[in-house]
Amino acid sequence: MKNQWCLIRAFSKTLPLTQSNLSTRTLCSSTSSSSSSSFALKNVTKANFESALEDLRKHVTAADFVSIDLEMTGVTSAPWRETFEFDRYDVQYLKVKDSAEKFAVIQFGVCPFRYDSSKQSFIAHPHNFYVFPRQEFTVPGSSYEFLCQTSSIDFLAKYKFDFNVCIREGVSYLSRAQEDEALNRLSASYDDELSELWSCSEGIKDIPLVRIPDVLFFERMKNKISEWRDELLKDGGGGYQLHKTSSASKQQFQTIFFKMRPALSLIGFTSHQLRLIELVIKKHFKDLSYVRMNGEKLVVYTDSEHDRNELMKEVKSEHHKEEELKIKSAVGFRHVIDMLSSEKKLIVGHNCFLGTESFVFNRWHDFVTLYLSDSCLSDTDIAHIYSKFLHPLPVAVEDFVSSIHKHFPYIVDTKILLNYSDILRRLTNKSGTSLSSAFSVLCPHIASTVKSSGLASTPHMKVEVQVDDLRSSSWNSGAKHEAGYDAFMTGCVFSQACAHISIDFEQQSSSTKLANHAMLQKYMNLLYLSWTNGDIINVSTGNRNSVPLGHHVKRRYGEIIFSNIVLLWGLPPKLKVREIRDAISKVFGHHSVITIYHLDQTAVFIQFSKEEFVSRFLDLIHSLERNKDPISVLHPFSKLLEGGNARASGYEVYKEICGSSMSKVIFADQANAVGSEWKTKLVNSAAKPVQENELIKISDFVNVNARTKEEKSDVIDDHSCSNSCDVVFDSLYASSGSRFG
Amino acid sequence: MGMLRNGGREFGGLWKQRKRSVLSFSTLETHHNHKWSIKQVTKSNFAETLEELKTLISSSHFVSVSLRQTGSYSAPWHKLLPFDTFNTAYFKAKFAAERFQLLQFAVCPFTLSSSKLVAHPYNFHLFPRDELKIGMPSYAFSCQSSYLTSMAQEGFDFNVCIYDGISYLSRAQESAAKDRLGSPKIFDDVIPPLSTSVADALFVERIKSRVKHWRNACRDLSTKTDEALLRSLRKLVLESKEYGSRPSMSIDVCSERQVQLTLQMLKEFFEDLVPLVIPTKGGGTQDVKVVLTSSKEDKSLFQRELKSLEDAQNKQVRGFRELIDLISTSQKPIISHNSLNDFAFIYSKFIGPLPPDVDDFTHSLRSIFPHILDINHLMKEIGPLKNINNLPAAISHLKRRFFLNMDVEIPQHGKGDGDTIHGRNVLTISHLFAKLCSLLKITPHSFQSNSIHLAPALGGFANTFLPFSANTNSTESNHGELRIWTGDTRKVGTENVIFLWGFRGGMSAVSLKNILSKSHQIFSEEFDVRLVGGSCATLVFWHPGLSAAFLEIMSCGGVGCEPLKEMTAEGLRAASYETYEQVCRLGLWEADLSDALDKAMENDVPFSETNAKALPSEINWSNDYVINLEDL
Repeated sequence: MKNQWCLIRAFSKTLPLTQSNLSTRTLCSSTSSSSSSSFALKNVTKANFESALEDLRKHVTAADFVSIDLEMTGVTSAPWRETFEFDRYDVQYLKVKDSAEKFAVIQFGVCPFRYDSSKQSFIAHPHNFYVFPRQEFTVPGSSYEFLCQTSSIDFLAKYKFDFNVCIREGVSYLSRAQEDEALNRLSASYDDELSELWSCSEGIKDIPLVRIPDVLFFERMKNKISEWRDELLKDGGGGYQLHKTSSASKQQFQTIFFKMRPALSLIGFTSHQLRLIELVIKKHFKDLSYVRMNGEKLVVYTDSEHDRNELMKEVKSEHHKEEELKIKSAVGFRHVIDMLSSEKKLIVGHNCFLGTESFVFNRWHDFVTLYLSDSCLSDTDIAHIYSKFLHPLPVAVEDFVSSIHKHFPYIVDTKILLNYSDILRRLTNKSGTSLSSAFSVLCPHIASTVKSSGLASTPHMKVEVQVDDLRSSSWNSGAKHEAGYDAFMTGCVFSQACAHISIDFEQQSSSTKLANHAMLQKYMNLLYLSWTNGDIINVSTGNRNSVPLGHHVKRRYGEIIFSNIVLLWGLPPKLKVREIRDAISKVFGHHSVITIYHLDQTAVFIQFSKEEFVSRFLDLIHSLERNKDPISVLHPFSKLLEGGNARASGYEVYKEICGSSMSKVIFADQANAVGSEWKTKLVNSAAKPVQENELIKISDFVNVNARTKEEKSDVIDDHSCSNSCDVVFDSLYASSGSRFG
Repeated sequence: MGMLRNGGREFGGLWKQRKRSVLSFSTLETHHNHKWSIKQVTKSNFAETLEELKTLISSSHFVSVSLRQTGSYSAPWHKLLPFDTFNTAYFKAKFAAERFQLLQFAVCPFTLSSSKLVAHPYNFHLFPRDELKIGMPSYAFSCQSSYLTSMAQEGFDFNVCIYDGISYLSRAQESAAKDRLGSPKIFDDVIPPLSTSVADALFVERIKSRVKHWRNACRDLSTKTDEALLRSLRKLVLESKEYGSRPSMSIDVCSERQVQLTLQMLKEFFEDLVPLVIPTKGGGTQDVKVVLTSSKEDKSLFQRELKSLEDAQNKQVRGFRELIDLISTSQKPIISHNSLNDFAFIYSKFIGPLPPDVDDFTHSLRSIFPHILDINHLMKEIGPLKNINNLPAAISHLKRRFFLNMDVEIPQHGKGDGDTIHGRNVLTISHLFAKLCSLLKITPHSFQSNSIHLAPALGGFANTFLPFSANTNSTESNHGELRIWTGDTRKVGTENVIFLWGFRGGMSAVSLKNILSKSHQIFSEEFDVRLVGGSCATLVFWHPGLSAAFLEIMSCGGVGCEPLKEMTAEGLRAASYETYEQVCRLGLWEADLSDALDKAMENDVPFSETNAKALPSEINWSNDYVINLEDL
């Protein structure tokens, strides 16, 4: 009995949302206004999408700004796709691009804010759209696929995200590019059909009439239809009725007019029977046509060949229109994006534009203990919007930002606002600039559940929430990490921030004015390229600059010079950073290595002090790889090359690897897979069977040595072997160890 | 415990009296909303269910399984195609298994007697939650949106899976996880080193004296009644710590060999000490911890404590995989539908990374699950079912064609499980299998629940992974026995198959054949063309050797023959079947087969090693003109 109980509980978890949905709907009729309430968000699914869209359109048009927030199925497709300090801005963009291309948007929060001067308050209309990429109109046969990052899905589950609603009821969409493609394909097929009007009569295959029942049916239909036609011609336009037929078949054949022509409507046949009827028409009646229209099947009489052509043309164009309508309706959620773009409203998001807020901690050692900070699901928003709803993401970040600027001329990231403005930075100093902490610091009067700190309460911007006809000035939907609520919080933070930087909304009247406000210009259209590095790009000018961001970002690795960096992967699994440094120091001298940074357990960045070391290092590694003579085993680098999987390259190869659409979990696998092309080419040119045999032998030799070396290195490394006597004995052992190994 | 007969109507009590009424299992398909007693298992009731299943599996004849995934293939040609060999089929299954995720795993141990099937269906909800925060079992997985949509239409509950699904680690992941968790290992057996060097002896002596000193001091400590301060000072000097309530000390070791030496020495000289090996996060040994026990009883008590601790951790680490291990150790024959795909998933999620070679896969799999029966394969034995490969169609066909008396009894797990349509397939598979057995006159007394050997009558069907290899009754499916297409087919060796692409889109097979026959004299011999999707075609020369000759001509750009040269200039390309195999092996899973073939041609490496291994194999040549990728 206990099990069942658990199961019921499990199932009932799906209920809250639907219930709350219901309650809002039932309450809609009575307008009420309370000071503190917890009514639900305006949830939008495909069932209420049309009406919600119209509703939203009104609010957006009237709005001063619109805040947005997205929930995705994941952020990074592999651990090494997270942001590193060693990511140059273009690499960072490639990582964002990968994220936006692979993961799906499953919830989209839109919250228009309008200033009501009579109330001296903002009115917010939070909308929470469930979105699901059903993608009905992509290339036929190909199926749309998206990635889920397990930890992100688990995170959403912790906040009781309703996946059933999302998948069953989510609003689908087509991007502009997809819509264009579908329309192009349609018009191409339309042209084709017109040109082959005669031959293609919907391309029915001749079904062989082998089965007796089919033959009988075929003959019967032939008789009936010819009867009907004869009657038609005899009457010359009178009452066409099928005489001498049973009532059952009367129901199946009904005479109607179709485009001013007499027609027989076929009802209640199976698709096989319909195919047979189609065959009858094709084979035996030159003046009749079989037509499908809006799900109806008709046999239409045409009095001449010309007339028949006309009819087919009309039918085709109607089909075309029908298809076009279907495509238009498949545009779905993109209507919201189109609306935001065409209204040219000020769009406000929180750290949602490009940079991934990274998990700066030593990610490698507890690799994967990926702690999801509270806004980490909401970054890369703009890239998502672009790739899902507009066009495929361009390869270069410059093209991306200029295109974004065309679609969304006014964008403000509250995260940048909070970090750039001195006043705001002071306010949020202690709490940090994650969305929920900024919200609780700046808007204590709105976040009713959060205790007022009293510190930030000097300028107060009132925000009233309106969901359908429910209003509240202190609203908590209790739905943290619902995109709609996060969008609302973002908007509240923005409105408070504006008040703090002395923007007087009384003076404002329309959104373009707010967007042009002198106080905002400093922050307008700036996006983080990389939060970790403080790389910022100005979307309107395309200028990049890397500004130290004061208290929030501390560079851990000093200045990074990308041309001095080498990427090394496929390392022996237990190789320590110190060993790498020691090996390199032995060859290039003590201060040659500035930093060694692990991407994951299989790869490191090495930053040298001078650029010349890079090429020398690479040459050395490559020559050691190629000539595995016994002497090279004694080289300090042989430790790095143990196992024969190690590869090295300059920084540009790293960019290439990040730009690949593949995502292997382990970096070394990724690098090898991306590099397989040039690697195989290399093998191709060099591989002769004899050489290969030699290689194998030598590498065996290397492995044997590797083993003893490993043990030796342990001795040197382990601090715990403090007893110098031990060291002597142990290394004694190590040298003799190979005998037993 | 009630008995369910046909459609589970027993619940209403209406059908109780109508024993032996006309039996039609098709009600299973039509009455979706009936309360089938399929026990739904999530993480909260997993442990107790596992106990239940332990006995049920051991007393069953067979175990049927059925899986639900987040997707199946991402482009039409990634599906199993008529011209796939076992080799390429494996790569396709591997590709899917590595990317998609399992959401449900239905298991049904059942017993079979002459006209009665007693089934115990269970449906497990899975989610690869990172329970141990070590980035396993799965960093990310793929979903196919159309697949999810159709699952949603069937009423699939994603929330149950994601909120309460059971997690797991594969066998390979488990050993990696143990290293990473750094939990102490107990060593019962010490392998004595073959010989010891001087260094070894010195090391052992030094450790021994240290341990002896420490142990004596500990004994003193426990008897003396020192002041607290003094005691803690002594402890500090001795580097003694506590492990639980018992005193312990750490011995630093520098290599695995020293670990072995230490363990050996401890076993030899100190009865009351229990050694624990503490691993580093990287997988090596950090140090050996020695725990002092006060008596023999205390020692065994401590060992039991450690054991139960380890068991608890194992349970937590393995999660759902406990069930897989249970099925594996039971050695029961496993019934599945689409066994290649199912077992590729099972292998990759619960055993380890899928081997790069199909033979390694089958060998390894056979050592874990000795008898796998594919229901599709059995269906091929029954003439009329030859061309059916979906379950409901097969059931209804059997119902129409044969009168089979088969009771289904499902001893209940309790009423009111709510929506229990999930995992219905596993019942259908069990039932279909029962019917097929009775049709094929495989008599029930040939199964013995305690025997690990498969009934001889079924032996012929075991471990045949491709569903369409019925032409040969052999179990040898590893190379090339392939799929039956509609109607009669001719067999063709893969060396005679050529892939063509780069011709004008929208061309039919007939017109392509016409154009080709006029292009070169080689086409005066008998040949055939089939389209594969819109942009690709397969070409077969029935006369041996011509395929190679044609490829030779094509590689010279068709020089010397104007029409073919013209076509090549227009973009026509040709490649051998080997290239297709290479596409699959290298994982060039482009959306379009022609793109993938192009890519494979671009970095065409002479795979001397693999070529030598690849046996020429045969595929069946279909009668249809088009292999319609949408319909498969």
